[in-house]
Amino acid sequence: MKLIVFNIAFYFVFCLYSAIAIPVLTLLIACFSLVMSHRNTMKWFRRAIRWYGMLVIKVLPFPLIRIYYKDYEKIAEPGPYIFVCNHRSATDPFLMACLPYEFIQVVNIWPFRLPVLGIYARWAGYLSINEMPFKQFSKQAVKLLRQGVSIIVFPEGTRSGGKSMGQFHGSIFRVAIEAQCQIVPVCISGNENIPPRGSFLLRPGKIKIHKLPTIKYEKFKDLKPFKLKNMVRNIISDEVAVMDRKE
Amino acid sequence: MKHKITENEIIKMTNQVFEESFEIETEKLQPKMNIFEDLGLDSLDIVDLIVALQQKFDVKIRNDERVRDIRTLEDVYRFIIILKKEVASLGTE
Repeated sequence: MKLIVFNIAFYFVFCLYSAIAIPVLTLLIACFSLVMSHRNTMKWFRRAIRWYGMLVIKVLPFPLIRIYYKDYEKIAEPGPYIFVCNHRSATDPFLMACLPYEFIQVVNIWPFRLPVLGIYARWAGYLSINEMPFKQFSKQAVKLLRQGVSIIVFPEGTRSGGKSMGQFHGSIFRVAIEAQCQIVPVCISGNENIPPRGSFLLRPGKIKIHKLPTIKYEKFKDLKPFKLKNMVRNIISDEVAVMDRKE
Repeated sequence: MKHKITENEIIKMTNQVFEESFEIETEKLQPKMNIFEDLGLDSLDIVDLIVALQQKFDVKIRNDERVRDIRTLEDVYRFIIILKKEVASLGTE
């Protein structure tokens, strides 16, 4: 019963908040765009998406869902970065809102089909990897990185829905090599059931997110993409196993 | 006279491709291994694999539709064996 009440309350406040925040932020950015360059407008647009996401994930489900970040402060080395994360739940993209950088996310087709949010993701320059050939994806990703925009990616391609981790797809690692961009592994644990795969029902829980040390280009410049993706996968897998054990 | 490659040699050479191109440990190279789920190759790696196999066996694979049916390492061995037989039979005709 408590779970049902929590979910009704969450989704009600979520819809209400979205109905207010999205038009307000859109209007604000539209006003900015009249006096700012396109690049700066995009910066503010992506920042607004971050603010929106941060409230959705940190404030609305509190106190039944608590989020613990580790080493989430700014990275000493200047960006941009490619953040590589494991993927267990539909909440993962929202959890990334707390990264203090201008970023876009690499997504599957379905997030682009979400009402309202999908349109905003497209406007923000999110990349739908399954809707474009690799060459086009690579070109757009490298262009964004050269503009200073970081990229968040879930290379498993789909939610695992449990504690297992799928194989990584290598596209983003080829981009990292081409753009000579540093990689930051990010590990997420505890949200396998927030919500479970195929459901919208949020369950109370503790989500832990660890940002691991940056992997500089010098460290992987001689590696083949296949080796690189497996190296990063192993780093994430080892840390997630530790996080799961500490639950 | 050109040396006729045996099936065992094909298996050995295919394994060498996986070791050299993807640095996969020899112990993992078992015939029943799924090249996607167990060995972790993706669609882009398959392009690299095709290039490496073409060079190793001096055959043309790139536009061969049968590549789409490959799932396990055994499928790769069988595909190369068939391909080499086809090339040999064309040579004798």
